[in-house]
Amino acid sequence: MKNLRLKAARAAKDLSQQQLAETVGVSRQTINAIEKGDYNPTIKLCLAICKALDKTLDELFWE
Amino acid sequence: MSMEYKMGLFFGVLAGALAGLLFVALMKHKKVIDCHFDERQERARGQAFKYAFFTLAVAVICYGALDTIFTLPCDTLTAVFLCFCLTMVVFAVVCIRKEAYLSLYEKPGQVMMLFGVIAAFNIGIGAIYLMEGTMVENGVLTFRACNLIVGVMMLVIMGIYALHISSSGEEEAE
Repeated sequence: MKNLRLKAARAAKDLSQQQLAETVGVSRQTINAIEKGDYNPTIKLCLAICKALDKTLDELFWE
Repeated sequence: MSMEYKMGLFFGVLAGALAGLLFVALMKHKKVIDCHFDERQERARGQAFKYAFFTLAVAVICYGALDTIFTLPCDTLTAVFLCFCLTMVVFAVVCIRKEAYLSLYEKPGQVMMLFGVIAAFNIGIGAIYLMEGTMVENGVLTFRACNLIVGVMMLVIMGIYALHISSSGEEEAE
């Protein structure tokens, strides 16, 4: 299932996938896979993404 | 095969392995080769290792069985190299498809150039052996074919990588 909330939060911060990927220390393809719902990130990566986007886990990853 | 020839072969392989290790160390030092992968890539590479492992197992068993039944027209080292190269190609294909072949900091251009140089070097040596007529002796493919096999393997991996890049259309980050 696509993670549109992540995509929206990233866009709201005016970050590209590449920029977010560099901030959290992963590849752009990984961010793309998370947004497309192709990859389930670990809690560690979820937290890093949340911190980078100033969001909570609930806001970005809880269904 | 004389003792002198065997010693020459042994030290030749040893020198080649040492040169290879030095080359890899230098490339790592120059940051052309880097081994930092993110969690998705690590997972994908784990799957690729699994496929490669089973490929190697099947290839080695097939070689053993076929050689026992038919006596294959290639020496052991060449056959092992063929199995190894097949395994490496399987590993590379799975990694490339899952976007996990290159690490976070590797530059595709640099890595592909390095592959190109290695391929050209090995194919060049293979071509020399082929022209000398020492690659096939008494109808048996000798270990001198290994360079050519490795060179072709590198070309295949480069081709698959290029194909993947062009077919994925480098979906641009939004």
